[in-house]
Amino acid sequence: MLADDMACNARNEYPAQVFNNENHKLNLYGDNVEVDYRGYEVTVENFLRVLTGRHENAVPRSKRLLSDEGSHILLYMTGHGGDEFLKFQDAEELQSHDLADAVKQMKEKRRFKELMIMVDTCQAATLFNQLQSPDVLAIGSSLKGENSYSHHLDSDVGVSVVDRFTYYTLAFFERLNIYDNASLNSLFRSYDPKLLMSTAYYRTDLYQPHLAEVPVTNFFGSVMETLHTDSVYKAFSSKTSNNKINSEMPLNQLSEHDELQKANIQNDELKTEKQKCPYTQMRVDLHKKLEKLENVDTVVNLGIAVMLLVVMVSSSLL
Amino acid sequence: MASLVRSWIPLLILQSFLVAVAFGSKEAEQFSEALLLKPLPDRKVLAHFHFENRAPPSNSHGRHHHLFPKAISQLVQKFRVKEMELSFTQGRWNHEHWGGFDPLSSMNAKPVGVELWAVFDVPQSQVDTSWKNLTHALSGLFCASINFLESSTSYAAPTWGFGTNSDKLRYGSLPREAVCTENLTPWLKLLPCRDKDGISALMNRPSVYRGFYHSQRLHLSTVESGQEGLGSGIVLEQTLTVVLQPETTSVETNMQPSWSLSSLFGRKVVGSCVLAKSSNVYLQLEGRLGHESKNVDTEIEAHKLWKNADFDLSLKPDRVLRESSGLLFIFDIDKSSDSEPFDLGLNWKLPSKWSCQQAPLQASRFLMGSGNERGAIAILLKATESQEKLPGRELTDGRCTIKANIFQIFPWYIKVYYHTLQIFVDQQQKTDSEVLKKINVSPSTDKVSSGMLEMMLELPCEVKSAAISIEYDKGFLHIDEYPPDANQGFDIPSALISFPSHHASLDFQEELSKSPLLSSFKEKSLVRSYTEVLLVPLTTPDFSMPYNVITITCTIFALYFGSLLNVLRRRIGEEERFLKSQGKKTGGVKQLLLRLTAKIRGRPIEAPSSESPAAESSFLSTKLIFKIILIAGAAAAWQYFSTDK
Repeated sequence: MLADDMACNARNEYPAQVFNNENHKLNLYGDNVEVDYRGYEVTVENFLRVLTGRHENAVPRSKRLLSDEGSHILLYMTGHGGDEFLKFQDAEELQSHDLADAVKQMKEKRRFKELMIMVDTCQAATLFNQLQSPDVLAIGSSLKGENSYSHHLDSDVGVSVVDRFTYYTLAFFERLNIYDNASLNSLFRSYDPKLLMSTAYYRTDLYQPHLAEVPVTNFFGSVMETLHTDSVYKAFSSKTSNNKINSEMPLNQLSEHDELQKANIQNDELKTEKQKCPYTQMRVDLHKKLEKLENVDTVVNLGIAVMLLVVMVSSSLL
Repeated sequence: MASLVRSWIPLLILQSFLVAVAFGSKEAEQFSEALLLKPLPDRKVLAHFHFENRAPPSNSHGRHHHLFPKAISQLVQKFRVKEMELSFTQGRWNHEHWGGFDPLSSMNAKPVGVELWAVFDVPQSQVDTSWKNLTHALSGLFCASINFLESSTSYAAPTWGFGTNSDKLRYGSLPREAVCTENLTPWLKLLPCRDKDGISALMNRPSVYRGFYHSQRLHLSTVESGQEGLGSGIVLEQTLTVVLQPETTSVETNMQPSWSLSSLFGRKVVGSCVLAKSSNVYLQLEGRLGHESKNVDTEIEAHKLWKNADFDLSLKPDRVLRESSGLLFIFDIDKSSDSEPFDLGLNWKLPSKWSCQQAPLQASRFLMGSGNERGAIAILLKATESQEKLPGRELTDGRCTIKANIFQIFPWYIKVYYHTLQIFVDQQQKTDSEVLKKINVSPSTDKVSSGMLEMMLELPCEVKSAAISIEYDKGFLHIDEYPPDANQGFDIPSALISFPSHHASLDFQEELSKSPLLSSFKEKSLVRSYTEVLLVPLTTPDFSMPYNVITITCTIFALYFGSLLNVLRRRIGEEERFLKSQGKKTGGVKQLLLRLTAKIRGRPIEAPSSESPAAESSFLSTKLIFKIILIAGAAAAWQYFSTDK
């Protein structure tokens, strides 16, 4: 979602190019960029619709977030923001309550397996104050009361080209090569408060795995573990499950989005487990047993007679 | 062994026979690409990329494509589109210098932003729904906000003013839409070779978007097969028109700049697209009248055409065609490859000047009036120099006239008063019936539909200038309907001026082979030009007012209720009064009890001083003992009486 057209703006000295550095070495607006929502379409309403998946019928598939319970989603937001809000188009705000509500809805509808939210605004950490859903990891570029600053000014283009937090994030990824197995922990530790001029705060209380074991490619970049199967529809047992598994479907769908704001990665397998609590299990067993009986009426009548006998005996004894 | 061979030979023969039958019965899909380069009189260069993809008629189920993009054929099938054109443009076509009468400018000089029109093949009641779904599908396909055209306030249904006469035609335009790489990339992905091979590999994005004018256009039309049971064929034409300025090192200002493909685009052509049936580069030079010797059979004469005193080309053309107004050099790029890239260059040696042929009347549009309440729109048509030389002027009633069609859309907040339409010919006001031959008006409805005006004017051939003006009132929008940058203003889409009696075509008589680009030029296309987009400032509210109102209201409520409660409940000097009341008579019930006990005892009422607490304490203790004795007695009696049977 890009609210303003920067690359082909009439004021841009370098048309169709967006740089992250004054040296103009890396053009971020490559040949294959895809921008689904731009201009006046970037509204809080559309953003929440994309997250929750509530679109009108006519909206095409490329404008929907087609994720399911195996997806890893990266949500990156940048712009102007403040205490528990983010500004949209100078006219609207996205509040932390709205974001937390949308994430809760997504979790209810099982639209993600893991979600990472990266916010680069002033007082960014306040935007995910209200989050409560599990499997969400969030990092913001500054704490409450701190500003986030831009990195440097490009005198050719005439504006500051990149914010500090984004600059150091990109620098981290530029240092990696294809065989590095960098973890999220190393990414989060690489932010130096003195260089950022703010504290990059991250929240892991809702996220179960240890950050040192999670590779960055889980969210950044589309690297998937593909499992080869001979037959498409036969269910096979997974190597990591301990519980009873009823049905499994291997999902090997490749994602094609390569945007700045969203990356959608789908994991390898889907497990559905039916594990009930003992009380319901007992009731179900009872129900099954009752169903097996041929004439239920005699059982019921017998039960009533026995009950009456018990009552009479107890009253006479007293 | 031999028996085995003998068993599968007939199978093989049968298979090849079937394959031959299958291929022979169907026409194949065709793709061809072309690039036309044309130096312009004002030291710029026009580059026109043309890609044509044809899908033959076939059965509607099981339609297999190997060259034609499936996305487009699915679009046509699902929405029953008969003809459609979608263009993304930035920049304004300079009719004065770049021409207005040739087929290139008539077809490719488009209004700024996005323009979409479509003709459907569905019942009349479903046309609007099909249009709405089509806009959404296109917005997803091309990464643009074309879905804003779905609401009935942004599109219109022109009839005869637009050129295509159909009642299932819908037209919409978004002047504010940006055009960038994300729109070009999916457009290129519709081509068989994408942007990896052939002529489309030249499209270096920074070079394309640095141009003075760039317009990418997609035009698709269905071709009826005429046979029962067969679906219709589709012809998809994609063009990209860029006007670039080559960098010049020469100091002289009247010399045309020399350029080459690598200096314009930064790349060279390394081979044609193998899936293309024909792949050519054309260089068109206007104003070179063929007054040299007619026979180009001799080698020297042919050589002089492309290497002479005025200019020379860096590569030898494969063919040269002549037309009344210019020369066309044809280069075939099939032979080029990585080792021999194709880099055509044009080097000017002497200053040359020429002019492009223009439309009979040059149109411009502007706003009149001031203030935020009302205004007027005026269209000015000025005669150009080439007016007398143009063919196609009609004789009606013995007079020579030029016919001009004007088609405009007005958004609903520009409330046009059609009765204020005034027409001036050569600065004299004319009554409507003299000049206006046909008019079709569809008035706007507030917040529901936009207004549309189509009119046909018949002007005398010797006209120097003509002006049409119309007045309007500015409407008010609801606060939610304002865009985030409301203070910039609101756009009125471009008007279309077309000349139905004039047709532009370029006919190269010596053309033998069927080149799609040249055959599209040969077809007579309507001469049309688009005017500017107008920016109208409307009254915008102060958007901080809701916040201010809430703050003020809450403050007033707080002050009112706060002071009211203070007045009603707070007592000043409450502390002192309480302390005083400790020494005063005890009030109420306590006094009554004291009086009673005093009467029982027979003692007089004592003053409630320090004595009363002492008396009270002893009195209380006896009362307590009496109560205890009473209750104990009652409990014993109950016990006795209850257990006794």
